[in-house]
Amino acid sequence: MALKGLDIFKLSPKKNCKECGSPTCMAFCMKVAQGAVELSKCPYFSEEALATLNSATAPLMKTITVGDYKLGGETVLFRHEKTLVNKNLFAVSVCTCMDDATVDAKLAEVQKVDYERIGERMYVEFVQVANNQNDPAVYAKLVEKAAATGRALVLECWDVECAKAALAVSGKNVILDGATPENYEAMSELAKSAGVALGVWAENISDLYDTVKKLEAAGNTNLVLDVTGKTAKETLANAVNVRRTALKQEDRTFGYPSIVNVAKIAKGDDRLQTALAAMFVEKYGSIIVMSNMSYAQALPLYGLRQNIFTDPQKPMKVEAKIYPINGADENAPVALTVDFALTYFLVSGELERSGQPVNLVITDASGMSVLTAWAAGKLSSSTIKKTFEELDIANKIKNRTLIIPGKVAVMKGEIQEKLPEWNVVVGPLEAVQLPKYIKDKEYEAAAKAAAAENAAKAAAGAKEEVKELSFDELLATKVPAIEVVDMGVKYGGHNPEAKTFVTIGERIHCIAPAIRKAMDERDPAPILERAAAQIKAGATYLDVNIGPAEKDGPERMMWAVKLLQENFNNVPLALDTANMRAIEAGIKVYNRENGKPIVNSADAGSRIGYIDLAAANDAICIALCSADGIAKDNEERMMHCDNMLERGLGLGMSSDDLWFDPLFLVVKGMQDKQMEVLEAIKMFSDKGLKSTGGLSNNSNGAPKDVRPIMDSTLVAMCMMQGLTSAIVNPNDRRLMETIKSCDIFKNHVLYSDSYLDL
Amino acid sequence: MSFVPKTAPFSGKINAVTLGTGDNAIVIGGQNVLPFYTFDAPIENAPKIGVEVSDLASQWDYAGLKDFYAGCATMADYAKKAETIEGCDFICLNFVGADPNGANRSVADCVADAKAVAEAVTKPIVVMGSKNMEKDGELLPALAEALAGKNVLFMSAKNENYKTVGASVALANGQKLGAETADDINLAKQLNIMLKGLNVNPECVVMDIGTAAVGYGYEYAASTFDRIRLAALQQSDADLQMPILAAVCNDTWGVKESSATEEDEPDWGCREERAISMEVATAAADLTGGADAVVLRHPASVATIKKFIAELV
Repeated sequence: MALKGLDIFKLSPKKNCKECGSPTCMAFCMKVAQGAVELSKCPYFSEEALATLNSATAPLMKTITVGDYKLGGETVLFRHEKTLVNKNLFAVSVCTCMDDATVDAKLAEVQKVDYERIGERMYVEFVQVANNQNDPAVYAKLVEKAAATGRALVLECWDVECAKAALAVSGKNVILDGATPENYEAMSELAKSAGVALGVWAENISDLYDTVKKLEAAGNTNLVLDVTGKTAKETLANAVNVRRTALKQEDRTFGYPSIVNVAKIAKGDDRLQTALAAMFVEKYGSIIVMSNMSYAQALPLYGLRQNIFTDPQKPMKVEAKIYPINGADENAPVALTVDFALTYFLVSGELERSGQPVNLVITDASGMSVLTAWAAGKLSSSTIKKTFEELDIANKIKNRTLIIPGKVAVMKGEIQEKLPEWNVVVGPLEAVQLPKYIKDKEYEAAAKAAAAENAAKAAAGAKEEVKELSFDELLATKVPAIEVVDMGVKYGGHNPEAKTFVTIGERIHCIAPAIRKAMDERDPAPILERAAAQIKAGATYLDVNIGPAEKDGPERMMWAVKLLQENFNNVPLALDTANMRAIEAGIKVYNRENGKPIVNSADAGSRIGYIDLAAANDAICIALCSADGIAKDNEERMMHCDNMLERGLGLGMSSDDLWFDPLFLVVKGMQDKQMEVLEAIKMFSDKGLKSTGGLSNNSNGAPKDVRPIMDSTLVAMCMMQGLTSAIVNPNDRRLMETIKSCDIFKNHVLYSDSYLDL
Repeated sequence: MSFVPKTAPFSGKINAVTLGTGDNAIVIGGQNVLPFYTFDAPIENAPKIGVEVSDLASQWDYAGLKDFYAGCATMADYAKKAETIEGCDFICLNFVGADPNGANRSVADCVADAKAVAEAVTKPIVVMGSKNMEKDGELLPALAEALAGKNVLFMSAKNENYKTVGASVALANGQKLGAETADDINLAKQLNIMLKGLNVNPECVVMDIGTAAVGYGYEYAASTFDRIRLAALQQSDADLQMPILAAVCNDTWGVKESSATEEDEPDWGCREERAISMEVATAAADLTGGADAVVLRHPASVATIKKFIAELV
């Protein structure tokens, strides 16, 4: 948390001695707050003031470590504000009041619930061992038994002698939940010498506060707060007040993780316990103690926890494998979809509703939905082939019908080619159509047709070996000659040194069916039409998205580049595809008269290699500041930025050739993150870096008449922050006029009454 | 006392909406604090529980449920029995059987059922349609007319059919109107604005903002709850101050945890207990997020959630 200059000034000596080099203490403090000067330049801050300032920059809530587990460390009260960091952990309670048989049964039961759900192991992490007999030997024996399960322990024990005996046998993965206002000194010494975290409990929240203060004064900050009250109501009040005091009032005395003992407040009612535990999963229970944990309780509670602690920036993925639905065996058909958890749940649910056996094959698509994955090249015939090989599906399933999602019908041919022994069938567009589709066996006719086609192909003889051709060979044999057509528009030229805002026209994109078709058929007309309109509207660059283009990417891109540049006076282009070889091919035929080609785009994750590609080909590279999923905050964005910058510079690129993309986020859904994106742009600008991005993403899903207003407002705000380029729809006149006006105010273009017409 | 927690009641307040008539009427909403934050300010009206009475209830294949409703044949029979459950605040008639893609029950049959239920019970009634947009455009107006004067809440008007449903339910028949969206806070607000534009009194609107069974993308539901409540209370956004009803039963009984047989999942134990547990945990999470009313199927879930609410308010 950043300190404001005035906060520092309040603690400053206020001598105005100038020894620090600043004219006044106020000026000095302002510089310190900006990070321009070290606080140590002033020798007159008191010890106390320094301690206050140091602690003011510490996190509001501590992270407490118990063995491999981390507790606390949260920075927000609600999950939509920022990712929650450390999930709740569960404990099951045993007590010295129970007989041996009960204890054994409970400990056995604890170990029974152990399963995996969407890549996460679900089990009871802690055994809580309660002491109510105050006999050290009895308690130690119980603790020893609990420790033998290998689970971490919460030792609820307020008696110092018992605690001592317990710690002797408990191992190190322990929280000693034993400090009270009466015994805290002795307990704290015990916990400290054993090197374990200390749980603190008091009758009321005020006493709890005082006790924590005293423990901190005695030097113990390895604490967990047991906020369990006499009732559920009081416990919720404690849990919320403790968390809120720490994070909202910024009082670090309560900045510790919590223990909530639901078993104590649920009055022996297991179902009520489930309900209360669900509440404390959402409301700030770091460790939730239950009297037992059956599958019936675990399934909903762990499911809820997994959802609540999902990183909103990272998609939930399910494992790539065969999921037999409705008892499917090797004779059931195969339906394929991506590993995005919501897609999986939706599709598997609908398949179950069909009542028919189906083998659902989930393929790795980085947790993206079907269309997004396809557009990003994460769902391709190659990735599907890889999944089929890795999972050995051809040997595990005899049925040869393969149903692919209707949304990627365009992939049918490529998949069929990569998996020739399968009969590829295009399924319905939406999951809700699946039950009927499967029940009525609508796929059978299509599968038959595919089988016949495959047989015909096989009969026509083995496919000839395809040799990878060089770019020159491709150019000579596979790229149709370009016919120059007069579209009535001439590209006006571009000076790469100019400071004016660079617009990259986004309209030539394969997600548009008309463009996809034109690319497939090498039909110039639709592409030239869109290019002409964008150039006329004042686009600086044109983006050329040829789709994933797995098969014929290089010749496709060479054709598109030549088509556009030869028709429009060597208009500069951004080459946009998941096929790296296609980009390389495009650059081979690219004319640099109006600026370098742009490689669209690299990221800090799996697409980092695009920087190398740009460096090797002296191109500009758009560098998306994310790795897998949206960066969680600007700290992460800047880390990615620095990494990519370092890589580019290391490869001899100029920093001007890396255009950093903060990743524009949609207002409908991520309204509260918009200012963060704007701040990121300012940070790029402050480092002297150029920036760009798909700005119109902000208004996705908004009404058509509203989008230009949102886009133009945002572009003005962004340009104020230092944005140097954007990927936009240049046909949006309002947006283009706003950009031109901003260039006037930024003094990039000399004003004239007709500046809008230029 | 050294530490006095800061209380945080808000200036914004959730609308209080009355359902039913006379002594049996109930009020949902009305509070100016986050759910169960009694330490900030008293909760005006404790959240309410509805018991689902479905026109497909005869297909419920769980021993305990079957036992409880033994001998019930008509929706009126079920409703009468449901009303006796300790903790039942209202009856929720679910006309899922009217779905043309399912049993496709006729509007006339549904109207007859609804009338019989209204005769048989004294507690307020909430009606859920077939979930089929077209059918509901026909079904809900007919039911709204048939139940005139009973102050019934109808679930729900959606973005696609709010004009027909809103006009007939709220304007022509003076009933309470549900506004349904799916985990989309922007659309939830927009729908309320559009209903206002239609002249539906905002004080007569209850939202269904979409939920999910816990474990099934519940993070979207949780954040939608949080954000809607914070907008209503913190920003005093009048277009989001409607109370929220969560039809928990619609989401939880179909998922694997509730439906997988004991043969298929031998480790998991009693199927009915799992189904209750899913319903209870989802309801508790919804209430913690901001639901002012939940609709539940199993009598044991109702009893548990009743206790849960009583413990916290």
